[in-house]
Amino acid sequence: MEALIVRRRAHLLASLATLGLAWLALLPWLGAAQADDTLEYKIKAAYLYKFAPFVAWPDKVFASPDSPINVCVSGANPFGAALDRIAAGQRVGGRPVQVKHVASVAPDSLCQIVFLGGSAEQSPAQGAAALRGQPVLTVTDGAGGIIGFVLVDNRVRFSIDKAAADESHLAISSKLLSLAVEAH
Amino acid sequence: MASILRLHRTAIPAIALAAAALIGLFGILGSVYEDQLYRAQKLDELSIQAEILASSVSAALAFNDNATAQQYANALAANPQLDMALIYDNQGRVVARFVRAGIDPRPPAHRATGISGNHVSVVLPVAERGERLGSVYLDGEMDSLQRRLLKYGIVVIIAAMAALLLMVLAVSQHAMSTANRQLEAQARDLVEANRTLQNEMRERAKAEEALRQSQKMEAVGQLSGGIAHDFNNFLTIIKGNLHLLKRRLAQGQTDVQKYVDSAIEGVDRAVSVTQRVLAFSRRQPLTPEPNNLSTLVADALPLIRQSVGAQIEVETHLDADWWVYCDTNQMENVLLNLAINARDAMPEGGKLTFATRNLSIDEAAAALDIRPGEYVELVVKDTGFGMSDEVKAKALDPFFTTKPHGKGTGLGLSTTFGYIRQTGGALEIDTALGEGTAIRIRLPRRYVDSLTRSA
Repeated sequence: MEALIVRRRAHLLASLATLGLAWLALLPWLGAAQADDTLEYKIKAAYLYKFAPFVAWPDKVFASPDSPINVCVSGANPFGAALDRIAAGQRVGGRPVQVKHVASVAPDSLCQIVFLGGSAEQSPAQGAAALRGQPVLTVTDGAGGIIGFVLVDNRVRFSIDKAAADESHLAISSKLLSLAVEAH
Repeated sequence: MASILRLHRTAIPAIALAAAALIGLFGILGSVYEDQLYRAQKLDELSIQAEILASSVSAALAFNDNATAQQYANALAANPQLDMALIYDNQGRVVARFVRAGIDPRPPAHRATGISGNHVSVVLPVAERGERLGSVYLDGEMDSLQRRLLKYGIVVIIAAMAALLLMVLAVSQHAMSTANRQLEAQARDLVEANRTLQNEMRERAKAEEALRQSQKMEAVGQLSGGIAHDFNNFLTIIKGNLHLLKRRLAQGQTDVQKYVDSAIEGVDRAVSVTQRVLAFSRRQPLTPEPNNLSTLVADALPLIRQSVGAQIEVETHLDADWWVYCDTNQMENVLLNLAINARDAMPEGGKLTFATRNLSIDEAAAALDIRPGEYVELVVKDTGFGMSDEVKAKALDPFFTTKPHGKGTGLGLSTTFGYIRQTGGALEIDTALGEGTAIRIRLPRRYVDSLTRSA
């Protein structure tokens, strides 16, 4: 059993590395232009918009069936241009994905997914508190948001605060919940 | 009708074979259809499994959680018909796989949904809200073609056998009902024939009864007519003689003895006729006793010779030594009667033969009026002018006579016949015109002990 897990992890790591390399190959200029872009944040950037298909927002959130899904980065932007490039032109369930950069968030920020990078005037925890109960999927590095990125064995995983999601009237797919490392 | 039946009989097996072949064909077509259904069903089953896998593995593919994807792949081991499950990411790389032991683990070069040989394959994209995340590939094994053919073949054979059985039943049922109908028709015909026969028998019995009655009436008429005629003759004789007697007495003549004698003779003859009539009507008391016909003939021979006269030669062949029961006097009368008949048949003279013999009559020789058994036969044969068939037919009737008026009473043969019948014997006339007459009398043999014989 131990050997099996080790072998599986090795395999996963290998495929993860291949995935990253493929992205680098797809976006060669990105790697050259943005020196501080780490593999980790490229993956996180990809995940950020990939959460969208697994989350259902209340209908009132969108003005029309083709209203865009706004993926916001609040405060510091650890993704560089990676998020903009990855999400550009993507559609989720018929809705275009738009990336917005904001300094801070408030209930009227018109974001459906927010990565709380934090800034001098609004820490990630403050941002999460400000959006508590709002139909906004808050994402943070570590705990704080509804979804929190964590590193497990050098792999990017995430935890989900199910109670907070319920409070925000967000229906998170059980498929996504089953992948969470530490669902509350 | 018969030719149609024959055609029917030869056509039925051909129809049966054709029907069986038709059902066999239906069985094959049904099997092909069944196989199509089976393949479609297998494809459906695998497609549903692929859909479930694709749906459940989407998040794992989206977030590169290969361990979770692998868990989903491993879960498919529960389906024994599944040989291989592959989960591909969006770049076409295998991120998780399940391969059943003993199966070539290499991913297929060409992935497509469909059936190839015994293998069912399904390729399905993995997507979440239109976001394409990868694909899944499932490969399963169906029952081998051989196995399927065997299954369907058995069905086809069973169907064909059932068809044959049905046809055989139908044919035998048909044959049986035909035979039954024929039997019923025959039975009806028999019943009808029997009814007709019984009707005819009743009619015949009635007709015979009527004939007997009319014959009886004729005989009675003849008898009474004959008696009246004879009595009239006798009365005329008596009356004439009495008149003559009266006239002679009135004339005072005394030689009247001959008239008295003539009158008495007339009375005697009337008495004789009365006795003969009584004998014919079997009212005459008989005293049967053991007799040897040979002895009886020998004893009566002198009287017979005297009766027939010298110009007739009398010959005897007396071979019988069995005993019979008969009334001696009546039997002598019979001999005399027959001798006188023979004499009258031979006015120019001739030969009269009396023959007796023992006679055993077996089943084959038995006739209508004589039963098998042991008899003593007496034949009285003359060489006279014989009888025509018409005369022969009436010879035994009472008062029938061919003799001139006043010479015969017509009671001789009929009385003889009546007596012989009364004794349990039989009488036959063997004659032809110009060839003489033989009267054949047969009396049943009687066993007597010496005591009765000596008495």
